[in-house]
Amino acid sequence: MKPVAFAYYRPQSLAEAVRMLREHPGSKPIAGGQSLIPLLNFRMARPEALVDLNRIPGLDEVEVRGQRLRIGGLVRHQQLHEHPLVRQHWPVLAQAAGEVGHWAIRNRGTLGGSLAHADPAAELPAVMVAADAVFELVSADGVRQVPAREFFYGYLMTALQPDEVLAAVELPLASGTSWGFAEVARRPGDFALAGAICECRPDGTGAVTWFAVGGGPERHELVVAADANERAAQWQDLAATLDAQDDYRRHLAAVVAETAYLRSLGRDGQ
Amino acid sequence: MSQAEARQTQRVVLQVNGQRHELDVEPRWLLADVLRHQLGLTATHVGCEQGVCGACTVLVDGKPERSCLMLAVQAEGCEVTTVEGLTPAAGLSPLQAAFQQHHALQCGFCTPGILVTMEALLRENPHPDEATVREALSGNVCRCTGYQFIVDAVLAAAKEGR
Amino acid sequence: MAVDMLKPQFTGARVTRLEDARLLRGQARYLDDIHLPGMLEVAFVRSTRAAARITGIDVQEALRTPGVVAVLTHADLPWEIRNDGFGVTQPVLARDEVRFVGEPVAVVVADSRYAAEDGVERVKVSYDPLPPVLDMEQALADAPRRVHSQRANVFFHSEHTTEGFAEAFAQAPHHLQLTFRVHRQTGVSMETRGCAAMPDPASGRLTVYVSHQSPHGVRAQLARVLGIPENELRVIVPEVGGGFGIKAMFYPEYVVVTALARKLGKPVKWVSDRTECLLSDAHGRDSVHEVAVAFTEEGRIVAVRDRVLGDNGAYPFPGFPGAVGESNWATNMLPGPYKIPHISLTVDCVFSNKTPLGPYRGVGGPIGAQVQEGMVEAVARHLGKDAMEVRRVNLIQPEDFPYRTATGNVYDPGSYSESLEAALRLLDYEGFRRRQAQLRKQGRYLGFGVCVFVEPSAMAHSEAGSTPYEAAFIRMEPNGTVTAALGLGPTGQGHETTMAQIIADRLGVDVKDVVVLHGDTDSAPFGGGTGGSRSGTIGGGAAIRAGEQLRAKLVKLAAHLLEAAEEDIELADGQAFVAGVPARGIPVRELARIAYTDVNRLPADMPPGLEVVARYQPPAPATYSNGTHAAIVEVDIRTGLVRVLDYAAVNDCGRLINPLIVEGQIHGGVAQGIGSAFLEELRYDEHGQLLTTSLMDYLLPAATDVPRMRVQHLETPSPSLGGFKGMGEGSLIAAPAALANAVSDALAPFGVLVTELPIRPEQIVAWVQAAGQGA
Ligand SMILES: Cc1cc2nc3c(=O)[nH]c(=O)nc-3n(C[C@H](O)[C@H](O)[C@H](O)COP(=O)(O)OP(=O)(O)OC[C@H]3O[C@@H](n4cnc5c(N)ncnc54)[C@H](O)[C@@H]3O)c2cc1C
Ligand code: FES
Ligand code: FES
Repeated sequence: MKPVAFAYYRPQSLAEAVRMLREHPGSKPIAGGQSLIPLLNFRMARPEALVDLNRIPGLDEVEVRGQRLRIGGLVRHQQLHEHPLVRQHWPVLAQAAGEVGHWAIRNRGTLGGSLAHADPAAELPAVMVAADAVFELVSADGVRQVPAREFFYGYLMTALQPDEVLAAVELPLASGTSWGFAEVARRPGDFALAGAICECRPDGTGAVTWFAVGGGPERHELVVAADANERAAQWQDLAATLDAQDDYRRHLAAVVAETAYLRSLGRDGQ
Repeated sequence: MSQAEARQTQRVVLQVNGQRHELDVEPRWLLADVLRHQLGLTATHVGCEQGVCGACTVLVDGKPERSCLMLAVQAEGCEVTTVEGLTPAAGLSPLQAAFQQHHALQCGFCTPGILVTMEALLRENPHPDEATVREALSGNVCRCTGYQFIVDAVLAAAKEGR
Repeated sequence: MAVDMLKPQFTGARVTRLEDARLLRGQARYLDDIHLPGMLEVAFVRSTRAAARITGIDVQEALRTPGVVAVLTHADLPWEIRNDGFGVTQPVLARDEVRFVGEPVAVVVADSRYAAEDGVERVKVSYDPLPPVLDMEQALADAPRRVHSQRANVFFHSEHTTEGFAEAFAQAPHHLQLTFRVHRQTGVSMETRGCAAMPDPASGRLTVYVSHQSPHGVRAQLARVLGIPENELRVIVPEVGGGFGIKAMFYPEYVVVTALARKLGKPVKWVSDRTECLLSDAHGRDSVHEVAVAFTEEGRIVAVRDRVLGDNGAYPFPGFPGAVGESNWATNMLPGPYKIPHISLTVDCVFSNKTPLGPYRGVGGPIGAQVQEGMVEAVARHLGKDAMEVRRVNLIQPEDFPYRTATGNVYDPGSYSESLEAALRLLDYEGFRRRQAQLRKQGRYLGFGVCVFVEPSAMAHSEAGSTPYEAAFIRMEPNGTVTAALGLGPTGQGHETTMAQIIADRLGVDVKDVVVLHGDTDSAPFGGGTGGSRSGTIGGGAAIRAGEQLRAKLVKLAAHLLEAAEEDIELADGQAFVAGVPARGIPVRELARIAYTDVNRLPADMPPGLEVVARYQPPAPATYSNGTHAAIVEVDIRTGLVRVLDYAAVNDCGRLINPLIVEGQIHGGVAQGIGSAFLEELRYDEHGQLLTTSLMDYLLPAATDVPRMRVQHLETPSPSLGGFKGMGEGSLIAAPAALANAVSDALAPFGVLVTELPIRPEQIVAWVQAAGQGA
């Protein structure tokens, strides 16, 4: 289990990075390496060259810009989990980041990497879709903004071009909406068997965004029923439409949706 | 790239346990392999090369990270600490001593990764409760001990202020 | 001198381990830490097919890979491992047919593992696929084909029925039929397997380092396969990062690496990666028990019929075909702690196109216990009784010892009932029942499960081979420190400490002054190694005996020098002295000096030096540890996930050498039991591809999966020297059954009885849903 040979470049600026990605065909960015290096070790990824984003200044910042929370692509999961601005404005994101892998994985894995990798069982892509985040993709040609809801195509597939870097994400500062997050995993720290983010707006409308039960984040708008039995039927009907691995996953989808819903109301869904 | 080019090495400067090492590495060499086989720091172990088992955990700028999921070339400019770097010239560190006292190891293969992780935990949180210790430990697999004596050792070390 | 006359100072105490300092400081040397200048590394080309004919192997491109030194196939290394009695040989590199995914087909030697893997990718093997044999029932009838064309798939069959079985079975008022199954699991030592071989140009001998449980076992096998005299082979087992049975086996890779070192005249190393391990380490478990049980109104079990089918995978490991080991153990120990007068057993073991089966801690014990305790649970439910009552009715009582089971074992005394009652007290069984009833009303499902286990240990035959004895060599050095050597193969059990404790007590020296060597065939006496929970009892017995003999020498010398009778000499705290007159003494250190360097002062009939070798073989073919494990679990019926909330292990392994180490063994076994019950499963697809080839798929218990465990010791000494009984496996024998029963208990309202391990969460959800639909 050792990687194939490749060249290694360590750009000092974003401009240099995207130029390198353009100049070296078969090259790939590497951020935390927590998804890419396992693939390299299994020789399932065979890049000609790696462009290391880790030393690019400015990519690891979290700040509020106007009505948006801006998070750099290189922000580590653990930073995301602990950052005061994230905890203040997007507690559900901070919570989700804490569920990614184990401590040592979170210390190195990055937000940009998780989004670019687009594992269907990953927490952060789903939060981005739920939150209606916008991604800033940078290439040698310039910058383009892509909404999270248009970014994920399916299993490990995204709108990202091979020579683009996901430099930052921007989330609207939440307004009166309450959020809940839930996931089920075999062991703590494992990729989820099923997970959901539930949002409830003051006007009674809301949405559920699932992960791990399809090819990517799955978001559905709905008016969540107040009655528990009706709600159970709602979740089941929605879950039935999911392209999940099996009935068990669809069953879990309903379970996590309910838990996330209860949590969004501040109730402990166990 | 052609095979011949591929095996070309790059000069890197690594800072490990406070010592500076200048060496030639292939970009694909994992930090774990370079620590073990180039620098002879064999306390860091390799159990899965996939990030799951935690045997290869080292401190990178003070934080536990997987040395099997980091290229040696990427470690340039970082301060890497292994168990060798946490071990006093003679005897045992307080955490190591607590491990011995509480029989927190059997085959010892997982132990360096666990020591490094728990050392970092106690620096961040000098008085963790059992649940916190177990959570921080959950990324390190030990096949021998069932974890109980490891948890006891960490809690005891915390109590004694390490 | 009788053991009882000693006042043990270290034996029985919670002595912290002597091996820890090097391990904690990061100075221990494991297999992959062995490095020699010019060392080559190898990687194997492994079969990607479960069953196929090899039609060609093209190594040309691999040979052109930078860094690659050689690529070899069966044509170059035509060695075969013979497996006596089954008419099957295993080529160390596949000859013209592959029989499981992961079987070594070719080997690439290179200047680094990276380059070796580059080479492996470029070896082109052409296969002509054959239909794989994957289902054991079908395999019985040689369908779809034979794994080895020259012989039937069934390679082992045995039957045993007690006299009067049929009548006893027929006359019983109640009968139940149950099918128990355990899927494939494996040891997953954190250190992977590996070996390194190097010729010694000076002596012409070969040195082989191997991460193994039995150094002499490896030497014997290598000598046999490669035709090298044993005195020209030196096998060294360095620090071993866990074994659990898988490292007791002899694998083809060891032959290949040793042969390569000889052929190339260079040091060669192979270290398995985790995927190779999951593909090629001995798999364990994988058997089906079809059970019929006959019992009385009171719940007394009078007769049990068990038809066992075990899947051995493609090849039998020499000396230990896993399916045979599993089935024999499980059936032999089927009665467990219960008085079951009649037994009828049928065992069939088949070959399949899967990884060869070998031992994993507990071997057939876990499935045996699962059958035994599942039966009890089923009987209790059938009769509407509490399962603990059914246990009490059937348990072997103190007055029954020595007890001969229907399967022919003779149990030495144990604390069967006492351990059950103690475990129930530890977890407050009565209180639990009340709490359980309350919580059920809130939709929470807790369950209580028990396993009363009997662990055969220190057996004459086990996966560690058929060496019914151990040898201990002890030398007191001229300065009074002690060097001992044993033929054991510890993989974390702390033998350097336990054996030192035993020896120190015999010699009256400090435990820290005793160094215990092992693992090097050049220095250790011939021994069976570690496996089958034999080291403490048999190795400990040898240490006692050798210690006694050396003690006798010291006493004789002291008596001579102190002008006292030998009977009056005591050894303690580094002093030899006349009993009751501590002032009349001489330091042991001084005795040692005299024995080597002042030999004129020795008694006339005493040769110089202080060295002994002694062997010990226990009086009985096995000694039986026992105990009871009890678990409280909570099942989340919505997700199917199970949490272990509380756990108690009451353990009786005779006299304790070191309670700290015993507790560590129990904790570790229980954690593995949690893995066995809920997480660990090697899964194959319909083509015979192993799907669980990484630790992302083969799930091991983490710190958050294992509860705090309560351990209580009972001590019923064995008739062996020292009174020790082995205990390395009991916790993994008992834990899966206790946990399975706890889940059954939790889900009793849904009519669930767990008979298959591991329990998958989707299965639990399906049970609950099915019960809901049925209601
Ligand atoms: C043991 C273990 C457990 C894990 N558990 C979880 C879990 O529970 N949930 C979860 O979500 N994840 C989990 N992960 C994966 C982890 O979250 C990764 O960190 C994350 O998926 C990838 O982030 P990274 O920075 O490490 O990316 P990398 O591994 O460096 O890269 C991943 C991919 O993204 C590309 N890429 C990286 N950064 C950028 C960028 N800024 N712009 C464009 N492309 C980029 C790379 O080229 C590569 O293709 C786990 C990993 C391990 C090893
Ligand atoms: S070897 Fe790095 S986590 Fe297992
Ligand atoms: S002590 Fe053996 S793996 Fe932890």
